[in-house]
Parts: sequence; structure tokens; C-alpha cells
Amino acid sequence: MYKAVIIGGSAGSFQIIIRILSSLPANFPLPLLLCLHRLKHVRSGFVEALSIKSTIPIIEPDDKEQIKPGRAYLAPANYHMFIELGNRIALSTEESVNHSRPSIDLSFITAAQVYREKLVGIILSGANKDGAYGLKKVNDFGGVTIVQDPNECQVKTMTESALKMTKVHHVFSPAEIVRFLQKINK
Amino acid sequence: MLPYEIGIVETRNVIKTILDTYGYDFGDYALTSFKRRLENIIITNGLKDAEGLIARLENNKGFFDTFLKDVNPETTEMFRDPPLWRDLRDDILPEIVRSSGKPKIWIGAIDSGEELYSLCIILKEIDMLDKVSIFSSYLSEETVKKIKSCKIDPRQHEANDANYQRCSGIKRYADYFSSGMGNGASTINAELIENVTFVKQDAIFSNPPGSIRLALFRNQTIYFNQILQDQVLNRIQEVILPGGYLVLGIKESLENTIANNKFTVKNNAEKIYRKKAG
Repeated sequence: MYKAVIIGGSAGSFQIIIRILSSLPANFPLPLLLCLHRLKHVRSGFVEALSIKSTIPIIEPDDKEQIKPGRAYLAPANYHMFIELGNRIALSTEESVNHSRPSIDLSFITAAQVYREKLVGIILSGANKDGAYGLKKVNDFGGVTIVQDPNECQVKTMTESALKMTKVHHVFSPAEIVRFLQKINK
Repeated sequence: MLPYEIGIVETRNVIKTILDTYGYDFGDYALTSFKRRLENIIITNGLKDAEGLIARLENNKGFFDTFLKDVNPETTEMFRDPPLWRDLRDDILPEIVRSSGKPKIWIGAIDSGEELYSLCIILKEIDMLDKVSIFSSYLSEETVKKIKSCKIDPRQHEANDANYQRCSGIKRYADYFSSGMGNGASTINAELIENVTFVKQDAIFSNPPGSIRLALFRNQTIYFNQILQDQVLNRIQEVILPGGYLVLGIKESLENTIANNKFTVKNNAEKIYRKKAG
């Protein structure tokens, strides 16, 4: 039984994130951690845009917020989002990683350390290599790794970098990602 | 990305060494980010592992100041969260200057000078720089030297300038630099900070300065666990005067802390709190 799902995405990932969020059962049994590249100075609007069609509540967490199942946690603008022991969010303003804050690598690494083999990590369309090392750590800790099929990505760099670094469990189309999540822990 | 990862037991050992050798208590820092800082310090100083770090800390007192400089992430932007700086400039700063003799402002960011420079520029623009006294805290002597040097990494200009414009500043960002803004480090006008008092802190803010009208303590408690957040915010609460203000980072909160009932929320989006009277 998995304990959490973490998704990283950048350029070209918005539509598939919306598709995932609108397809999950309302009683989705896990927390969904979202680390998506976004404009640093635009603090509001993103949660609202993602919420319109989402079946589960989307939260831009405060520091040390308790992580609960059936909710999506979106990394806030201009902060890194770590997963802390005790199943809490921890935020950081430390320097950008891969030119990114939030950095997908950092969210994935810290989630892998906490949830270990009970984590599902998914990398979607994006324009830089952020997330590739993080997905490798998910794999190293025994978690399940999924990458969106680069041929179906608007921008392939992120998924191709992830595939180069890790022998992943699944290369999925958006429809297959949705189906996987709908059946998770059932 | 970091090739070296430190374990929880090793992290605890480093914390114990520092407490035993120097009396600084990092035991209630948030584990994930503290671990990452240790990993950074181990790599940038060419130390092999946690044992190497412990040996260096035990045998080289001078190294401890460098450790203190690097243990907290620097604030990397000036005017981070421009709406806050507009609010300070247009509302809070004029009010505290009007209502008290020479109000004391405390910058609790112990890591770098960005908050301080931003505050001084804002005060200069409303002609109030000489009407307040500013106290700025620091953890490491090296950090305070760097802040006093007024040097800004040129790679930060773009973000700083964009933020400054979003504050609708009355001049240009570049006007505050005494040197050009070429490829070398550029220097902020040193007279902006010439009257600032620097106050040494320990790792847990045991001794913040007293009689504060405005405390800027943004994105500092995120590096603490909840026990230390509670303790530190309560210590800061005690030194803020009735009617004075406390500003936290936009993802920090007084909610669920013991200091909460001493304050009212002045601006929830910018996390500006006002201390109740009496």
C-alpha cells in the first residue's frame, strides 16, 4: 500500500495536471504532492486555476502543515517544498536548484527519504532536467517511478533527462497515468 | 546535486558536538533543511563526511564562524514579496514614526543583508531613515562583515530590480548603488546602513533586543521545528511593544503558537501582526 504520490512538472504539464486532478475519485486515498515550476513573483491564481476542475481540495501549504490523504499540496511560489519526518510540509527559501524554486529534485528527494518504498513518483512534460535526480532517489529508496511518454510531451527535456538517469517502472501516456492513479491502493 | 547524504544519527552527532563545544543549540532546527545545510557545508569545505565535519568543529574554533555563516540559507532577493514593502512604506512605517519618538525596528534575518538593505531603501524614499533606529541581528561575524561591505552578487540584480519595480519605488534600483552595475560585485550605498546597530544572536534567539515597534522576522521560523517556532516567537513577542508590529514570511503563521493571543492580524496575506495593547 502506497503512502503518497508526488508529481513534478514544468512547461507543458498544466493540461495533464488538470486532467489528473479532474479524474481522481473524490475519496482519493493518498496525499498528492505537486511540485510544478511556476513564476516566482506570482503568488496567487495557480491554486484557483487548478481547483476549478479538481475533485480533491488543493492546498498551498503553510510551513509545517500536516499532510493528509485526499488532498493535493502544491509547492508555493518562490519556496522549496520539503517533506519532513512526521508527515509534515517544510518550506525553504534556500538558493534555487536547477534554476528552480520550487525545485522538483528537492521535493522528490525529501519525499523519498520519508515515504521510501511507499512512494509513487511521476515526472511530466518540462523544459529542464529538474526532477531527474529526484526520481532516481525515489527509485533508490524502492518507490515506484513513472515518466510521461516523451513522445506525448509538449516539451521532452524533463522526461528524457529522467529516463536517462533511471530505469523507471513505467513510461505512461496521460491516460495510463490517470488509470494508474484511479486504481491505486485498491 | 549533492553526491553526499548525511544520516539522522550523524546529524544528531553534529548537533551534540556543537552544543558541547560552543553552547549553540541546533537540536530543534527542522531536520530536513538542517541536514541539507550540513551536507552543503561538508561538500563546500572539502570534508569527507559527518565525522570530518565533527573533527573540524572540534579542532578549529575559527571554522565555527564559517559554519554559522553557512548553516542558515541566505535570503537571496531584495524586496521579496513587493506588496509587503509597499505596505510598510505607505502605512506601517509612517505610522510608527508618527506615534513614537524614534521607533526601534528589528531585522531578525540572521543570514544576509537583503532585508536590511530593502528596509533602508524604503525608509530613505519616505525620508524617514534618520527617524528610526534599526537593529539587525546576525549569527556569524563573517556574515556581518559581508553585510557591511554592501556588496550584491550581480546575478541577483535582475530579481531585485523586478521586485523593486513591483513595489513602485520612486527612483530606480540602480540609483542605490555607489558603483556601476557591471560584472563585478556591485556596492549598495554604504550610508544607507551607517546607523544600523548589529546585534549578535545565538541559534535560538535567546536575546532579541527590547522595546521593538516593528520586527521583521520573515522566513526564519521555517528552519525550526514547531517546538522551537513556539519558543522563539514567544521570546520575540515579549520584546515587541504594545501596538507594535511583527511581520512573518507569507507561509509562516502565529496560528497554533502560544504567542498568537497577544496579537491581532493586520494583514493576513503579508502576515503582518499587531500586538494588542496591555
